[in-house]
Amino acid sequence: MTRDFGPVRALDSVSLSISRGEIFGLLGPNGSGKSTLIRILCGLLVPTAGAAFVDGLDVSTSGEEVRRRIGYVPQRFSLYEDLTVLENLDFFASVYGLEGEKAKERRQWAIDLTGIGPYRERLAAQLSGGWKQRLALAASLMHDPRVLFLDEPTAGIDPVARRELWNLLFELAGRGTTVLVATHYMDEAERCGTVAYLYLSKLLVYGKPDELTRLPEVTPGGMRRIEAACDQGVATLMGHARTLPYVEDVTIFGNSLHLLVRAGRDDAAIARDLERETGSRVVVRPIEAALEDVFVRLTKIHAGRNGAPVSPAGPGGNP
Amino acid sequence: MRGLRAVLRKEWTQMFRDQWTLRMAFVIPILELVLFGLIDTNVHHVPTAVFDQSRTPESRQLVQDLVNTGYFEIRSLPGSAEDVRREIVAGKTSVGVLIPPDFARRRLNGEPADFQVLIDGSDSTISSQTLAAASGVAFQRSLEEIAARAHVTDLPLRLHPLLLFNPDSRSANLLIPGLIAILLTFSATFLAAFGIVKERERGTLEQLMVTPVSPAAVVIGKLLPYLALAFAQLIVILILMATLFRVPIHGSVALLFGLSTIYLFSLLALGLLVSSRAKTQMEAIQRAQVILLPSFLLSGYFFPISSLPAWLRPMAYVLPATYYIKIARGIIIRGAGFVDLWPSVAALVAISAILVAASTRAFKKTIG
Repeated sequence: MTRDFGPVRALDSVSLSISRGEIFGLLGPNGSGKSTLIRILCGLLVPTAGAAFVDGLDVSTSGEEVRRRIGYVPQRFSLYEDLTVLENLDFFASVYGLEGEKAKERRQWAIDLTGIGPYRERLAAQLSGGWKQRLALAASLMHDPRVLFLDEPTAGIDPVARRELWNLLFELAGRGTTVLVATHYMDEAERCGTVAYLYLSKLLVYGKPDELTRLPEVTPGGMRRIEAACDQGVATLMGHARTLPYVEDVTIFGNSLHLLVRAGRDDAAIARDLERETGSRVVVRPIEAALEDVFVRLTKIHAGRNGAPVSPAGPGGNP
Repeated sequence: MRGLRAVLRKEWTQMFRDQWTLRMAFVIPILELVLFGLIDTNVHHVPTAVFDQSRTPESRQLVQDLVNTGYFEIRSLPGSAEDVRREIVAGKTSVGVLIPPDFARRRLNGEPADFQVLIDGSDSTISSQTLAAASGVAFQRSLEEIAARAHVTDLPLRLHPLLLFNPDSRSANLLIPGLIAILLTFSATFLAAFGIVKERERGTLEQLMVTPVSPAAVVIGKLLPYLALAFAQLIVILILMATLFRVPIHGSVALLFGLSTIYLFSLLALGLLVSSRAKTQMEAIQRAQVILLPSFLLSGYFFPISSLPAWLRPMAYVLPATYYIKIARGIIIRGAGFVDLWPSVAALVAISAILVAASTRAFKKTIG
């Protein structure tokens, strides 16, 4: 799919497929096209080129049937704040044509799943961020959708609520619901069955997390990844590490550094080099690439390539 | 229409939950009705200063004649013509009566006796009515004396005026029927404009659009409750008009309600049209004002359409308010029926149809 907004290309020839019943994570910085992709899949936007299929149906021609099969939790809370939890749920049930006993049954199911029962009579406006997000999820599940889209559902909610929301997503995936979730958080990405990384409107990579960490571009031949931990001044340590000729890339991880280094120098030698520069004790050990390393590395490669002349293939060639 | 029942039920709940808006929907029209209804455009007891240099029974008779018209009330007796002028400039009095020293002598000698009336021309209602009253006094007295001298008992022309529909010239009877149109115009247009924009601003419209609800169900489901609310406003205004201000409805109440419904449809469509492009409520207010201000000023409510410059008149004739004001005044004041009003009714129906079609198209385009 490609989508333009005037002169701006928000999504550039992005092509991917999502398996039934999996949790698919969509990652990328702000403005990389995550929301645009989700909005196209929900039928809110029409792609400038290409086509989107959801649950086997073409979104552009079978829009109404697609809408019956999907649930959508947008980035911003978008239910009615002046209605109570129950009124919101009843409204969405009835919009999907659920009435009477069937509606009550579905409502109870959604309430049990999300645990929002104690707040059923409360106005949506009076719920905390985490509970608002659960209400939005419950409302989007009233019609038992086969595919669920969540656009950064955990932005701005506390860690406990975040974890609980993810447990719900696992439960839904376990029942066979396909879940596509856009997120900023690496820990959430690592929980997904498949992740896709969007950068500057392009899909840089997608696959299972452990496949991605083993990609040759991430740790190219003749290189390896190490962690350097020191008891003080990790920022200073990073400054020194950058000056070493065999260090390709440095990232701070809490109180330690993740380094991509050219092979040929062993851990003890590297530790000595770093200790000499900083004067404090440094412990070096080999590590596997983390998902974050994958994205950082791919972003750098892509940014470098962008400086070069435009590739002859050009954009938008692949529908 | 998929989801109409759901949208209707939701809107109904929301309308009653928003007590503030609901209360304002009634408080504002009632307040405006009371304020406008109490205004009396008939002029009485205009503050008047008299500089009488004659100080004779004749000059006092003239002043008394003026006072007897009910238009003038003597507030001060300044010592010079210059002082009279100054009082008018200062706004203390609106009318000055100057009587020269030889007034009585000339009256007794049968010569023309002059007196001057200074009128504050900065308020046209006061100046035109006091001018007419003062001229009336002079003419009346002159005629009586000429007739007496010529031993004429009957004047050659006798006028028998009869003010129809509003025999007491009560302002409320003239103002309120037009005011109904203005009040409905404002509240119905804003209600409809806000209804859609609020959902867009809060992101709920997008949430709605991923459900199988049809755009028509969203529009109609929102507008019907507003139509009911606007109708309730109309009933409250009419009851107040008939009871508090004792303005009788001379024509058919059913006809008034029927034509009001058509008018309300055109307003709701207008509100929808306004909101189809607006992204925020603030923007909707500004867009609505572009349409509401002409409805207020050009519809014949404040000024007769005939007093508008020729190039503005076509604008008056595309405003639905213009026709509804004619209809409301016709039914309420003159007791006009459908047959009398059909040109205005036809125009109103045509404009409403165009507005409804245009707004439905605009709405489908923005969300579809």
